[in-house]
Amino acid sequence: MKQRSPAVFQWLVIVVLMFPAASQAQSGSQEPEVLTVVTWGGAYEDSQRRAYFEPFTEATGIDIETVHYDGGVKVLREHLASGDVEWDVIDMIQSDASAACEEGLLDTIDSTILAPAPDGTPAREDFMEGAIHRCFITQIVFSTVIAFDDRAFPGVKPDSVEDFFNLEAFPGKRALRKSPVGLFEWALLSLSVPREQLYDLLSTRRGLELASRRLDDIRDAIIWWTRGDEPVELLTSGQATMATGYNGRFFHARAMEGAPLSVIWDGQLIGFNSWTILRGTSQADLAADFIAFATRAENMAAQANLISYGPARKSAQRRVGLHTDAGVPMRPYMPTAPSHMDSAVIRDHHWYSQTVELREQWFREWLER
Amino acid sequence: MDRKGIQQIVYQISTVTVLAIIVGTAASLAAIGFVDAVHYLNDRLLISPYARVLAEDRPGFVAVATLLVPAAGGLVVGLIVHFLVREKRGLAPPDAILAAQTSGPAPGFGSGLASTLAALISLGSGASVGQYGPLVYLGAMFGNLAGRLRLNLRHQRSIAIACGVAAAISTAFNAPIAGLVFAHEVILRHYSLRAFAPVTVAAATGYIIANVIFDRPALFLVSFDRVEHSYEFVFFALEGVLCAGLAWVFMVLLKVSANVARRHIALPWARPAIAGLTVGLVALWIPEVLGIGQETLRFATIEGAFGIGELGLIIVAKLVLTALCVGFGFVGGVFSPALLIGILFGAFYGLVLPYVAPVPHSGLVVYAICGMMALASSVIGAPLTTILIVFELTRSYDLTIAAMVSVVFANLISYRVIGRSLFDLQLRARGFDLSLGRDKAILETHRIRDYLSSVFTTASDQDTVGTVRQRLVDDHRSEAMVLNRKGKLLGVVRLQGIVNSNAETPVMDAAIRSFTTFGEDTSVWQSMEMLRGFLGEAVPLVDRSGRLMGVVPEEAVIRAYLEIVHDLREEENEAA
Repeated sequence: MKQRSPAVFQWLVIVVLMFPAASQAQSGSQEPEVLTVVTWGGAYEDSQRRAYFEPFTEATGIDIETVHYDGGVKVLREHLASGDVEWDVIDMIQSDASAACEEGLLDTIDSTILAPAPDGTPAREDFMEGAIHRCFITQIVFSTVIAFDDRAFPGVKPDSVEDFFNLEAFPGKRALRKSPVGLFEWALLSLSVPREQLYDLLSTRRGLELASRRLDDIRDAIIWWTRGDEPVELLTSGQATMATGYNGRFFHARAMEGAPLSVIWDGQLIGFNSWTILRGTSQADLAADFIAFATRAENMAAQANLISYGPARKSAQRRVGLHTDAGVPMRPYMPTAPSHMDSAVIRDHHWYSQTVELREQWFREWLER
Repeated sequence: MDRKGIQQIVYQISTVTVLAIIVGTAASLAAIGFVDAVHYLNDRLLISPYARVLAEDRPGFVAVATLLVPAAGGLVVGLIVHFLVREKRGLAPPDAILAAQTSGPAPGFGSGLASTLAALISLGSGASVGQYGPLVYLGAMFGNLAGRLRLNLRHQRSIAIACGVAAAISTAFNAPIAGLVFAHEVILRHYSLRAFAPVTVAAATGYIIANVIFDRPALFLVSFDRVEHSYEFVFFALEGVLCAGLAWVFMVLLKVSANVARRHIALPWARPAIAGLTVGLVALWIPEVLGIGQETLRFATIEGAFGIGELGLIIVAKLVLTALCVGFGFVGGVFSPALLIGILFGAFYGLVLPYVAPVPHSGLVVYAICGMMALASSVIGAPLTTILIVFELTRSYDLTIAAMVSVVFANLISYRVIGRSLFDLQLRARGFDLSLGRDKAILETHRIRDYLSSVFTTASDQDTVGTVRQRLVDDHRSEAMVLNRKGKLLGVVRLQGIVNSNAETPVMDAAIRSFTTFGEDTSVWQSMEMLRGFLGEAVPLVDRSGRLMGVVPEEAVIRAYLEIVHDLREEENEAA
């Protein structure tokens, strides 16, 4: 008896342990339990994982898988054309979302899913203006900024967009995103065009030509990047002395990893990221549930306490405090901090969404000439 | 001071202040609405580069719009002006000046609205005309309306008009001091405290509404450190002189264009459409000519945005097309085109200068701004205003001083060659000549007929010298008017000429046949001129058919002059 009882016990344990797994597997065959979120990787995705994905799985039992994305509308088109729609929720730049919406690539989102602020303020009043759209819900304010390797400039430090184009005073390679985004704004800003007039001037041939010629000044010094985590690598490895990149990544590298880099807030290009649902997904309702969960004020604040992107709703902004791990106060690192807004360029997402072709053509031509 | 006097003063000051605030608010809101509506139309009608680039994927559509929108706009403008504006032309700053200077009837509110609508469509559809002229008139229109209220204020109409104009300019340029000075320099032409105080209030109101309530962006933003070399002031002065030349060319082109339109196109309402079609055709090749050209204005201050040849081409195209649009009857001003042509010319000058004078200079911006202000000030005859616009928009002392030098030299030349301004030229063509100052112009608007006396001695052409002599002695006069049976004046008989004549001589033999007469339309100024060398008692005034209507004694002419000039001096020296 003494010898058999452990075996019985083992069996019992195995059966007991197996049962819930079996039942889960069974229910899984009826209802999918994995939601696919398309997002940007790196420190940014980590912050989303901790603030949204893990709590969501905990609350609902539904796992979240991520697919890497570097922006743009083309990949959505291609994914839909493949016929096998696996993506559910996409974290898109607002101008891309707007363009994709017009192309009919996105599902509509019922804004009534959005939870009111904890104090009862309706979501429509709590979110930033223009954040709630039939195709997207804007969630964060991010910024593309210029950062530099502190070690490269032991004397005078660069502090303006103009310095980015000044290879004489601040020599070294410049890392830029290989995409017709931001390049022309900075080119004109460096010629002291006021930010209010940027997009009016860029709407003319002359404006684009002027930007091209300005970029020619640094052409030979450019290193292109595509993935959001590359600028930090290029700077820390010493390959580039100045780089453009997302402010949250630079914050993470500086504050969390102690990388020797500094951010120039002059000419920061403010953009917005929005949650969207891909048209044709079989899990549209689940995707909407996720968006409703991820846009709750306390969850948005939790993300902002991990990475320095500003939440798009006021009740969440008020909850931003110290970094969850490092204890650094987060507010001064937000792109929306008042001192950073003086020279900020708010990206004209309407202009961006309507000039996709033009920008790409301009970029191709400039690269080839 | 007695109690009634104090009450009167309190009433005056408070009424005039409230009036200024109301007129200022109305003019400022209207100006903002007007400018926004122009932007809206420009976006909708694919005139603004921003709108054009958004339609980039349909190049054929953009080309068709470029060609047709200004032409269609021109047709609508032509019809509105022809059928809805009583004056059959766009109302402009000269009308505001005239309404402020004289007490005659001003264009009605309905005409004003129709003219403003025509201006809106002109600017909205991309005609090469300016927005400030219509804005000035819009301000004047509200002022004129307020001028009709029975508030028992002296010079109420002119002050109210100045208030409206000041607020409109203050709002449009975001420059209250320039608005204030413009109203005095161009509209009122004097600086009395009575007008100065309410106009300041109105300009401040315009500024507050533009800035605080609506938060409008500035018209142009440039950054400039300082003039590096003192010898550059010589270049600024020279630039001013060249700009005066350009202003002269501009005025000549305007005149030629208006003449061509009158002579060769019989239907007045079709003229703007033809100008619009031309603008569209040129815009297919040079899109910079469309509309106000905010972007082009900006590029002119950026080194490397234009080549020298390109600049020359755009300057010529813009000059010719602006003259064409204005001359052919599009409704709009000349100030914004002058600003644009001026800044392009300034940039051109700045680019050419290093080849002519190979010495270091302070960069393009300062030359561009100097050119802009020098040309514009010559055209509208407002040197102080333009200097202040630079100061208020750039807040740069160095830039203002540089512009000041150019502006002054431009005006020194243009005043001699052209006259004070385009407005004054247009007014002179309408018979209101301000070139010798307000006195002459105002004296010209008063008819001497108003001082007519009906007390005089007449004689019939059948009378004898004896009868007339006796009549003059009885009447205690020395002059008799000889009339025929129909009352037509045939001559004048003077007592000293017939004292010793034979009593039986027919009076006509003794009458003076060549003598000074006034007509129905003779102005006070003309009557003064005609009195030079006059020896008689009174000047007969005859109607168009030569019939005697009465006489104007010499004393009455002097009285008329004194009264009018006294009124002017009083207006100019009044305290609040």
